Amino acid sequence: MPSATPTTATPAATPASKPTSQALLQLDAVTKSYGDLDALRDISFAVQPGEWVSIMGPSGSGKTTLMNIIGCMDKPTSGSVLLSGQDISRESPRALTAIRRDHIGLVFQQFHLIAYLSALENVMVAQYYHSLVDEAEALQALERVGLAKRANHLPAQLSGGEQQRVCIARALINRPQLILADEPTGNLDEDNELKVMAILRELHDEGHTLIVVTHDPEVASAAQRTIILEHGHLKEIRNNQP
Amino acid sequence: MFIRMIIKVIARQRTKMLMIALTVALGSSLASAMLNVMLDVGDKVNRELKAYGANITVQPKGALLLSDLYGLDAAAAGVDAYLPASEAAKVKTIFWAYNVVDFTPLLSLQAETPSGREVAVTGAWFSHQQSLPTGEELQSGIDNLRSWWEIEGSWLVDGEDDGVMVGVTLAEELGLEVGDQITLSGLTGATTDDPADSGTADPAPAGTGTTDPASGTTDPAVSGDAGTAGTAATTTSGEATAVSAPTSRTLTVRAIITAGGDEDNQAFVTLACAQAISGKTGLATSIEVSALTTPDNDLARRAAQNPKSLSAKDYETWYCTAYASAICYQIEEAIPGVVAKPVRQVAASEGAILEKTQLLMLFITILSMVGAGLGISNLVSASVMERSAEIGLIKALGASDAAAAWLVLLSILLTGLAGGVLGYLAGLGFAQIIGLGVFGSQIAAAPLVIPLLAVLLVLVLLLGSLPALRSLLRLRPAEVLHGR
Repeated sequence: MPSATPTTATPAATPASKPTSQALLQLDAVTKSYGDLDALRDISFAVQPGEWVSIMGPSGSGKTTLMNIIGCMDKPTSGSVLLSGQDISRESPRALTAIRRDHIGLVFQQFHLIAYLSALENVMVAQYYHSLVDEAEALQALERVGLAKRANHLPAQLSGGEQQRVCIARALINRPQLILADEPTGNLDEDNELKVMAILRELHDEGHTLIVVTHDPEVASAAQRTIILEHGHLKEIRNNQP
Repeated sequence: MFIRMIIKVIARQRTKMLMIALTVALGSSLASAMLNVMLDVGDKVNRELKAYGANITVQPKGALLLSDLYGLDAAAAGVDAYLPASEAAKVKTIFWAYNVVDFTPLLSLQAETPSGREVAVTGAWFSHQQSLPTGEELQSGIDNLRSWWEIEGSWLVDGEDDGVMVGVTLAEELGLEVGDQITLSGLTGATTDDPADSGTADPAPAGTGTTDPASGTTDPAVSGDAGTAGTAATTTSGEATAVSAPTSRTLTVRAIITAGGDEDNQAFVTLACAQAISGKTGLATSIEVSALTTPDNDLARRAAQNPKSLSAKDYETWYCTAYASAICYQIEEAIPGVVAKPVRQVAASEGAILEKTQLLMLFITILSMVGAGLGISNLVSASVMERSAEIGLIKALGASDAAAAWLVLLSILLTGLAGGVLGYLAGLGFAQIIGLGVFGSQIAAAPLVIPLLAVLLVLVLLLGSLPALRSLLRLRPAEVLHGR
């Protein structure tokens, strides 16, 4: 089986698959199978701290499976996934929950806000399961995404863009090492898409490590590198910026 | 934050939570009613069963020894064994005095009509008003102990010493009707059914006895052979009582009795009248006692054989429990020289009926809780399914399985406990309806029911939530958030 490392996939690829002591995330020959079907096959790449990486590919290419594995919500069938040097592919579900809570901020395409809690409370839920609830800090996170005045509104009273920004504030509240966003602009209009992208740029500028799963080339191009998947293979790793 | 989430979850799922609360309320109301009735039904059923007669008989030791050892009737053996009728009141001085609901001394004798027909006569108290040694006023008598008798006419009353109640068979044979008169003459020395009774055991010389003032004195209206040579009987307490020659008495038939047993062939008079006819002033042949008892268990059975064989702790437990044997023992302590024995058929029936009634109520309690558990199981499953995205999310945010389960469980427990309180209060109402409808009296709210019901409720809520919790624990965030 051919290796899908960036070196063989494309000359433009960076040598990110090589294990480095600096890499925040290191995937090595990751395969995920569902019976006879390989959702991911032999995926290897690395993400450096502070890097913004996009994962692109058509439907069924394995983007969400890859995100679930990186987000500690699934485990690969084979291969290893190192997060800050810790092999999360061998960890128990309980340990994965703790890693997810302490190191990863999740942004979802469907926002997944708790409908009966206000925007502020949705942010505080992440605090509650992480450590201690700090309402002022949660309000600050909302202020950062421009929603301080909507803090007491229920999700149903917010627009899609506002809900996504609450989702980002929730992902940021525990200062994760890695922000993992699944189609963060997938359900947004252009105006809100621009706002969310601006927040992501700001986060990147502040030194956050971002992995954004998207099928939108424009969103993908905002990242430093784009990892392109096709039928579960790593087709290409593209450098977007000189 | 957690409490805020719980409150908001309950508010958001108010329809489902209301259904859960109502299901729990329904189950717990039945359980509460049944448990309260079950804990109070002992006395209620016992009181109902008191209508079927005395459950303890007290006899002089001598009479019972002959009967037990030789199968002989004391009278047939020529032994008179009496106890002072005044001793009867002592049954209300024992440790379980409160459980003694009725009692009467009885004096059985043989009399004959002018035509020579021998008649078994029993003297007893009828609505006898007395002051107990405790200072308590009490009315007791055979009319309460034989409440199932069908009476044509009216019951005798205390002091109605010129009246008689005649069994239906005897009345037909003698052609008696209510209002008719009959003369009964006591047979010499005959104080039981057996006409062969000779009364030769009376050792004291005639006419030397004294009258017991507490037993009801002989009526001055007594006619016939009164005043002829008498004897003194030795009573269980050793005190002398007046024993004189039998007399005759003309009595008015107050009622015809249909009892369906031996009583149909007997005549019943007041104790004073019977004492006058037989010449046994102040004496009785036995005492019938109706007491509320606790069904026998192994301890009671062991104690009934020999209370001295029990350990000090067992003895104390037995003595302080209203077992028939314990009450008998205490009666024997209170009245020296007597033997008190439970009427086994009655005592056993009371125990069996009580146990079956309580078992039935226990089954209803269990079934009601099982029903509530099944209902809760469905409702909680539906609630968890509805909240699967939320539960997946909080797991994705870092909530452990236990934390996610606790979030769901606590909202169910709080809702269930609210329903439980509602059900408990409703159950108290149902218990009163049952009490008034079935037993004609209120059911006391047993404090024990509250912790019992709380434990049952928590168990039912936990068990009912178990299937939903299992599916919740199996829920993977990736599946609910990303569909895989």
